[in-house]
Amino acid sequence: MPREAEPSLNEKQFLLQAIQENLRLDGREPDQYRPLGLTFGDEHGVADVTLGKTRVLARASAEVTVPYADRPLDGVFTIATELSPMASPAFEVNRPTETEVLLSRLLEKTVRRSGALDTESLCLVAGQKCWSVRVDVHVLSHDGNLIDASCFAVVAALRHFRKPDTSIEGGVLTVYTPAEREPVPLGWLHSPFCVTWSYFGDEGETALLDATRAEEQVRVGSCTISLNRHGEICQIAKLGGTPVDALMLLQCTSIALAKVKEISSLLDRKLDEDTKQRNKGGRAAELTAENDR
Amino acid sequence: MPLDTSAYGLALLRVDGRRWNELRRMHAQIRTQAAADGSSYLEMGHTKVMCVVTGPSEPGPRRGGLGGTASGGGASSAQSKDAEVAVSIVVAGFSSVDRKRPGRGDKRILELQSTISSALAASLHTHLFPHSTISISLHVLSQDGSLLAALINAATLACVDAGIPMTDYVVACTAGSTSTYAANDEAADPLLDLNHQEEQELPGLTVATLGQTDRVAVLVCESRVQVSRLEGMLAVGVDGCKQVREILDRVVRDKGHRMLLEGTVERGAGLDDMEVD
Repeated sequence: MPREAEPSLNEKQFLLQAIQENLRLDGREPDQYRPLGLTFGDEHGVADVTLGKTRVLARASAEVTVPYADRPLDGVFTIATELSPMASPAFEVNRPTETEVLLSRLLEKTVRRSGALDTESLCLVAGQKCWSVRVDVHVLSHDGNLIDASCFAVVAALRHFRKPDTSIEGGVLTVYTPAEREPVPLGWLHSPFCVTWSYFGDEGETALLDATRAEEQVRVGSCTISLNRHGEICQIAKLGGTPVDALMLLQCTSIALAKVKEISSLLDRKLDEDTKQRNKGGRAAELTAENDR
Repeated sequence: MPLDTSAYGLALLRVDGRRWNELRRMHAQIRTQAAADGSSYLEMGHTKVMCVVTGPSEPGPRRGGLGGTASGGGASSAQSKDAEVAVSIVVAGFSSVDRKRPGRGDKRILELQSTISSALAASLHTHLFPHSTISISLHVLSQDGSLLAALINAATLACVDAGIPMTDYVVACTAGSTSTYAANDEAADPLLDLNHQEEQELPGLTVATLGQTDRVAVLVCESRVQVSRLEGMLAVGVDGCKQVREILDRVVRDKGHRMLLEGTVERGAGLDDMEVD
């Protein structure tokens, strides 16, 4: 199994010394994110997120399937994460590493378990037909903080996604193509985002937001907090590592809430821009059709 | 799951008759397996777990479970300067009401393993045992909420029994809140040590601290809850951890005392100042 190249002793010491003096290699503040970029694909439901040099692509898709026997009224919603060797030589295909397992569990807890997507609205015919919504997360480049970037990409992709419109008449289900009927957005309840803190120092006394890969390799612990802009915690995961003072964790949570509000409004703005851009042609075409009649 | 905890407001008693700040009955034993380097058995209410520790020993050819070192790096133990803490969890089929066979790659179990491994690695003095493995195997016999907390406590006790040097006990317990995520009622009480029913219904979190300190090693919250509830829940959880530490410490001291009386171990120089009664 290939291992990730570890930073040399000199690099490690340099980085830690700098962090102790409140300096980061890229000159950021401790609670500052790298520039967060989001572009949508031509298709609905494709989100390409860049966070510094980290790049994640999420793609949402939907198909009609049979619901699970124990949940006849719910649709199916899955998040598939794949860390390919493209992102880092330490990742292998078909052999989930610890990073991958923890990442997919976190996304699962943040987006699925917190009930961000209304799975009941995916039900078409109880016990017989439902939508299966699937989000594939592809990590294109790994430079730290995969969790926050992936979570943002998943939420952006799902909110951008449109599923085909359907109708049921006399027990016959019709799925319309985009040409027949405008596709409809998913039933979305709230948008959770992850904020990951990394801890440094013997007692974990220094906390940094949005660690790069080099910083991740020398950190002593991390804590991922998922919140939405209404101030609801969806999930907290500090999975071991050096113990951190409880008060510090509370402070981290309140800063995280402010960050989540920023991220949330960024996503809203990007979605608005995208709708406007798409509308330009779309609405005009509709108007001409009406005029012809 | 259709259970009603709304009666709490009337008598301020929970479904099992406890008050908000009471732990369930906790019973623990150490040195239960003669063949193992360290072993423990722990009950928190009806949650029952067993733990067996082997090592620190030379890493075998086949390693089960997810390993983690104190540095959090993915270095395998052969090259590493620190001992690797490998944790494997076996959930017995009869442990919960519905018998289900978990798949081999159950991500929930993998997450638990990695959490326990990383939490203990930070407290154990792994740097004293380079190129070796401490393998902790946990067996879940019965589940009634607070599973992660029970597993962490059992693993700590077994490591104490194995005589692996550590900074302090890593102790864990759960805390919850009587409010739902939607209700913004100020009257909501924090609750200590959730059982299965409460865990299903109410928001809650698992806290593990390092001994008597306020330093949190593990904090896992899997339910939706208002951010303002966190402070109360965390405070109650940290307080509960201190109580748990007292209980575990008592178990270890009692066992030590009994072993002295039985003559299993000789009274050493360090044992004189041990407070035994």
